[in-house]
Amino acid sequence: MALYILRRIALSIPALLGLILLTFVLSRVVPGDPAATLAGDSATPAQIAQIRAQYGLDRPILEQAVIHVRQVLSGDLGNSIFSGRPVAEEIWQRLPATLELTFVALFLATLLGIGLGLVAALDHNGPLDHLVRLVSVGGLAIASFWLAIMLQLQFSMEWNLLPLRGRLDVALGQVPRLTGFMLVDTLAIGRFDLFLDALRHLALPAFTLALPGLATIARFTRSGVLEVLQKDYVLYARAAGYGRFRLAAIYVLRNAVTVTVTQVGLLFGALVSGAVAVEAVFDWPGLGTYAVQAILSADYKALLAVTLVIGVVYAVVNVAVDVAQAIIDPRVADQ
Amino acid sequence: MTALRHLLRDPVAALGLLIVVFALFVAIFAPWIAPRPEDAFESNIMLRLQPPSAEFPFGTDDLGRDIFSRVILGTRSALVVAVSVVLAAIVIGVPIGLAAGWRDGWLSEVLMRVTDVFLAVPQLILALALGQLLAPGLTTAMVALALTYWPFFARTVFAETRRLRGALFVDALAGIGAHPMRILLLHVLPNAAPAVLVRATIGMGFTILTAALLGFLGVGAAPPTPDWGLAVAEARQHLPDAWWYATFPGLAIMLLVLGFNLLGDGLRDAADPRLRRSRK
Amino acid sequence: MMHRLLRCARLVLLLAAAPLMASAQTAPRPLVWGDTLPATLDPHAIFDVPSQFILLNVYDGLYRYQGNPPRLEPWLAESHTVSADGLTWEFTLRAGAKFHDGSEITAEDVVYSFRRLLAMRRAPAAAFTPVLTAEAVTAVNPRTVRFVLSRPYAPFLSALPLVAVVNPRVLTPHVAGDDWGSAWLAANSAGSGAYRVNAANYQPRVSLDLERFPEHFSGFAGNPRPIEAVRVRPVLETSTRVLALLRGEIDATDSYLPADQVERVDRNPTTRVARDESMRVFIIRMNNQRPPFDNHDVRLCLAHAFNYEGFNNVVLRGFVARNAGPNPNNLWGNPENLAPYAFDLARARTHCDRARAAGVDLSRPIEIHVQNELQQTTQAAQLFQSDLRRIGINLRIVPNTWPNITSATARAETTPDMWIHWVSTYFVDPENWIGQMYDSQFHGTWKASSWYTNPRVDTLLRAARESLSQEERQRLYAEATALVVADSPDIWVYNTVNLRGLSRRVSGYSFSPVGSGGEVRLMSLEN
Repeated sequence: MALYILRRIALSIPALLGLILLTFVLSRVVPGDPAATLAGDSATPAQIAQIRAQYGLDRPILEQAVIHVRQVLSGDLGNSIFSGRPVAEEIWQRLPATLELTFVALFLATLLGIGLGLVAALDHNGPLDHLVRLVSVGGLAIASFWLAIMLQLQFSMEWNLLPLRGRLDVALGQVPRLTGFMLVDTLAIGRFDLFLDALRHLALPAFTLALPGLATIARFTRSGVLEVLQKDYVLYARAAGYGRFRLAAIYVLRNAVTVTVTQVGLLFGALVSGAVAVEAVFDWPGLGTYAVQAILSADYKALLAVTLVIGVVYAVVNVAVDVAQAIIDPRVADQ
Repeated sequence: MTALRHLLRDPVAALGLLIVVFALFVAIFAPWIAPRPEDAFESNIMLRLQPPSAEFPFGTDDLGRDIFSRVILGTRSALVVAVSVVLAAIVIGVPIGLAAGWRDGWLSEVLMRVTDVFLAVPQLILALALGQLLAPGLTTAMVALALTYWPFFARTVFAETRRLRGALFVDALAGIGAHPMRILLLHVLPNAAPAVLVRATIGMGFTILTAALLGFLGVGAAPPTPDWGLAVAEARQHLPDAWWYATFPGLAIMLLVLGFNLLGDGLRDAADPRLRRSRK
Repeated sequence: MMHRLLRCARLVLLLAAAPLMASAQTAPRPLVWGDTLPATLDPHAIFDVPSQFILLNVYDGLYRYQGNPPRLEPWLAESHTVSADGLTWEFTLRAGAKFHDGSEITAEDVVYSFRRLLAMRRAPAAAFTPVLTAEAVTAVNPRTVRFVLSRPYAPFLSALPLVAVVNPRVLTPHVAGDDWGSAWLAANSAGSGAYRVNAANYQPRVSLDLERFPEHFSGFAGNPRPIEAVRVRPVLETSTRVLALLRGEIDATDSYLPADQVERVDRNPTTRVARDESMRVFIIRMNNQRPPFDNHDVRLCLAHAFNYEGFNNVVLRGFVARNAGPNPNNLWGNPENLAPYAFDLARARTHCDRARAAGVDLSRPIEIHVQNELQQTTQAAQLFQSDLRRIGINLRIVPNTWPNITSATARAETTPDMWIHWVSTYFVDPENWIGQMYDSQFHGTWKASSWYTNPRVDTLLRAARESLSQEERQRLYAEATALVVADSPDIWVYNTVNLRGLSRRVSGYSFSPVGSGGEVRLMSLEN
């Protein structure tokens, strides 16, 4: 097992190196002179030359690639063209917001997805089943940015139930940044009212983000449960007088965990893409809005760093998923 | 043919097929179906932001253009984008999958590692980055989407090829001295086709959604193109009053993607008899 | 099953409503400002509309613009003298003005600030570098600062409010290498303004918290209930900004509310729209060095093909004023009876036909670059496009961003055929508009991106820049404006009426074209 985990981690290293090189190549196709861009509005030719030397832009291209890889590995993602501050620092400030949103969305997707899938399977071909199938296909077809706007209009503007934007109501007070996760930090300072407010702010964005994953998980759970219910041993158990609900409860959980773990890796990419749209609409101060702002301010440094960071997070999640799968089902590791 | 019959027997998949065929019809004949085809570029500011009425079933937008016509005209660009992206992804991904799956060795390793790199890049983010670095626009968006979607085809075909290369008939063909290229193109590829088709159908829906999102974020289609995502973005300034402006383009996206997803689901079931049983 | 679901739903709703009840007993809401934050908090590093908010609230300058039309008022300086040749300026500082750390503001601090500005050579320095060197700024005594210009520069005083006085005692410990502390100051403050920054809570582009500085020299005169705490929470998208205002999540939007939302915001019982005539001209630029725009008839053709009436009065609902030339209508230096170009497609066609007859090729698609996040630029381009089609000109809209376009305008070859932008008030002098837009010495800057060259206009503008007689300057600018408008190098559309959505809790809001009404010092809050 340990060998498998090591091997799996080793296998992801070339992909990560490739990713770093890809961002390097992308940074070199920028139109114009990167040194001039970095130097700013009223730079003199001498200043531009100085910056060129400082960033190693005057060296051979291969050497620059090596420098780039070395810098990235040491955590230096360069300075933002927009703010002049280290990109790594800006991303570090925003990453928790995106992760919190993604985790809550994943949690919602799993919980509701398994629930709906179970309900559908137990009501096989009944009205609930059809409803869930509709939701599970429809959920994958709705453009997240559109759904986000529609939810804002309905829940915030029309019914006045949930906040429109942001992570916390400013009037309630300040939350010191401990972990950057609002739900954790508010509890850490013992402010349950702020915790609830953070939850209310999470509700709409997390649901919007969760919907595609929810749809996928519901579908897999449904077919998984149906399959289990048709298994011979289950039929025997039913003949022996066990109720359908109880059987489903016993078997579905194990099944659900496997299904979800497999899906999490696949879903994560979708969640991150979805986060860009959802964050933009709900004004969520995470990596998604950072990317959108980077586009508006033509900050290619920031944009490439976001690509890199999300790629790394994505790779880590995938390794974790494979390892988790191997733990749940040791046969995976043997293959 | 049997697959098609199976497909039509499943009402959900049949609905998907119906939607897709309908959308294709609308896309091909858009200029003749749309009541005001000139509203692709013409503005009538005296008629701006009219609510839905008999004359304008979906209302008008901020430059007085008929949203109904623009939704119809937008079908064409949505489909053109999706088809080109998926085709390009197939053209890149399938040969790579075939080559990597046929023989183990350094070539296979390199190809699959490259595939992994591209798979590790979040699609949307790469599209945004490319859109920013090259000139933002529909072409760039399409290139970015194709560049990030081909790994899925490469993976699918890779798995199919590996499965098939051990098959008896492939051994037999190799035994009678058939050229590997010939075996791959004439025998392996057709067997992998159903899996590719399923991928492609689902990819259509996915691409339409992503392209719409790029339009929404301003790095996709340029105005005055009647693009659905762009329309939702333009509509935002006029919410909540002009609700119709954002609603109908959004519904159009949903309907078309729904069609492809239902069809893809049906195709997957039809291609996989094991699932077909559980679907009853 | 159904019952259980319903019970769950009810529980969820109750949980959601609980904080609503709880919030009633918390402290009074601070002012929540929803306008954009600048890229950096360093007042010497950038100068754009968002950075004015920092400049006016966190820092002080020697002079400051107040009110509308803007009056130049002594601020940290209480008076100044200027020598007869216009070269030597001496400013006497107000006594007793203090920085946030309690130390007194001295002439040495002003000298340090100007030396820092000139050494960093960033945007706000541009108005001074041609006439001022670091050595030419000196402290005569603790309360007198002397500037010796290298040549007469009439807009000198008008441009002074651009420069914030920073506290060297706070800043110098954070200087790294030759960066003048700019890395540190980007996220901190070293000022004397009416508000100070809570640096611990600052997150770039996301949040900035300000607390009142009660010892500010102004003593908050005329404002019995100044606002204690400000939370700047920029809302990324215009539409969310409007909705957030309507819901009371923010107290102020930016000052460019979409015209279509004005009625809605006014109708809402808790919000209103402040309408203030500004000095901010909307311009469609043409690259005069690239065919076909090098032809006068083509430029006249285009100037007659834009539907000014329709755009200003229908799309923008009349919340703007037609502007005939580069200078805003409400500024001095415009000729009397300057007639704006009219929308007249027949006339446009005549000019275009004449150009075609002279051998100009009008068949290639013309690219117009718009700013992605500013929908008005896209609306104008689409309107223009549909009218140009009627006279056989194919306009292609290219969505782009401000940084991309402005770096492209560095050279004529890379400058787009056409692009759309505003020129806001950086300082109140025709130099800010016609001076920097049409004097060929500014070629390569975004303001001069039409690459217009007219030797006579150059002469007039240069004379106006150096003249010390207001009367003469007025005459020179008027003559130059008439020449420029006749040449039609660009298409001037309107002068802005700034529209800022405000919560009705906010009173004392006072607009000035410089700063767009963002001076919190003057405002109060009802709770």
